[in-house]
Amino acid sequence: MQVTETLNEGLKREIKVVVPAADMESRLMERINDSKDKVRLKGFRPGKVPTAHLKRMYGKSFMAEIVNEIVTHSTRNVIAERDEKAAMQPEVVMTEDQDEAEKILAGEQDFAFELKYEIVPQFELQDVSDITIERPVVEVADEEIEDQIKQIAQSARSYETKDGAAEDGDRVTLDYLGKVDGEPFDGGKAEGANLVLGSGNFIPGFEEQLIGLKKDDEKTITVTFPEEYGAEHLAGKEATFDVTIHEVAAPQDQELDDELAKKLGLESMDKLREIVRDQVQGQYGQMTRQKVKRSLLDALDERYQFETPEKLTEAEFNNIWNQVTADLERNGKSFEDEETTEEEARADYQKLAARRVRLGLVLSAVGEKAGITVTDEELQKALGEQLRRYPGQEQQVMEFYRNTPDAVNALRAPIFEEKVIDHLMEEVSVNDKTVSKDELMADDDEEFGSSTATGGDDA
Amino acid sequence: MSDLSHYDIIVSPVITEKSTMASENNQVVFNVAKTATKPEIKAAVETLFGVKVTGVNTLVRKGKVKRFRGRIGRQSDVKKAIVTLEDGQSIDVTSGL
Repeated sequence: MQVTETLNEGLKREIKVVVPAADMESRLMERINDSKDKVRLKGFRPGKVPTAHLKRMYGKSFMAEIVNEIVTHSTRNVIAERDEKAAMQPEVVMTEDQDEAEKILAGEQDFAFELKYEIVPQFELQDVSDITIERPVVEVADEEIEDQIKQIAQSARSYETKDGAAEDGDRVTLDYLGKVDGEPFDGGKAEGANLVLGSGNFIPGFEEQLIGLKKDDEKTITVTFPEEYGAEHLAGKEATFDVTIHEVAAPQDQELDDELAKKLGLESMDKLREIVRDQVQGQYGQMTRQKVKRSLLDALDERYQFETPEKLTEAEFNNIWNQVTADLERNGKSFEDEETTEEEARADYQKLAARRVRLGLVLSAVGEKAGITVTDEELQKALGEQLRRYPGQEQQVMEFYRNTPDAVNALRAPIFEEKVIDHLMEEVSVNDKTVSKDELMADDDEEFGSSTATGGDDA
Repeated sequence: MSDLSHYDIIVSPVITEKSTMASENNQVVFNVAKTATKPEIKAAVETLFGVKVTGVNTLVRKGKVKRFRGRIGRQSDVKKAIVTLEDGQSIDVTSGL
């Protein structure tokens, strides 16, 4: 097997591999001798078929198999021998000519093919211990928790029937029949409906007009549907509602005490506080992690500047682009609405794609060096989460993952990425910085997360 | 002289262990038409394959009685011809005509 390099430009490589006909022939003979004792041909006892006859019968198909084998095996070997890593599956170019192919299969001609691929760029892993990252941390204020608890209390509040006029905040039980132009309309009728005045659940104006009504009062109220009403045939129309009040109930003050906690199925108020605090903190924790991850990636991005394999970038870009255009389409927007042109957006996303690929490569290199692997357990967990998303279709989803290794890789990638980030986080120095809630929530223009460790994994 | 054409006389080559062994003695084996005679076979092989034939031996293998779904049937008889070629000549039977 002769290997010659025909192109070496940047990250691109083109290699010509020639396998002499004699080599092919000897491989074929090996193959035939191997199968000699196994074939059963009519007119011959097993193992007694002459080699020449076998070759005449099966030579072509054996040769095709050999060619296939050479292409799949040698590509990897050739590249490994050159001490390179292909970024993606190398492209194999063989002769298109039928006659030539025939000759190769007949073992009369040298078998030559070209490999086109891009290598994974070589880069030195840098020491990351001098990176400093700010971790925005939010102290959860007591008031916030109190607020949360009050909200919870409100939803658990009880009402007590009262005599007298309905006030804001009271709950009324009523029948109503809505009419537009004197005709009742669909969905405009209800009996025994509960409505908390001031909750804003109904059309604007409706609830306000109920204030002051008493039990067993009847009234016709007139309201105008808002212009932007969900049901088109009603939007902007004026409607009358014949209302009968059955009950007026006043809200009971809900004390923030153990009683409330018990109602919610908890032992005490302290317990409730604890749970709420945990929840709030968990939310902030996620935000914090996102932020830290971003700044870590930013820092890495600054340190590693190298050319990225075109094909990978291209693939990543297409991914992003499809998502973006699909998004725009779904929202019925064009690039003009976003105050940008298609070209500009393309350029932007190209950059983003390059960054993602680069970070993906860096992360996978770091992970490899640190010996980070995704265990089966973690994979199972992720798979389980996926399954939970499609209740009732577990079987199909399982089947899907079993049959598409790519999908499993897609599951593995984020886990791997997270682990690498965790690993890096231990090495870099992290400064905690207390920030306010708003500062943390301040939106970053674009989530530059990478989620592309996939590209690196293939390599 | 029957009016069978050359192509009708020679039905197929026989490719078996035995026939391969025969080929070492410069002999080729064919299945031939039941009615074909030795001179006809000689003429057919000479013209179709462009070789010189020194001798033809024939045999008729009688059809066997076979049962199929309990009913008795009979395979048809087969006439084979073992054709001896002149020294130095050969026929590649497997490549067909």
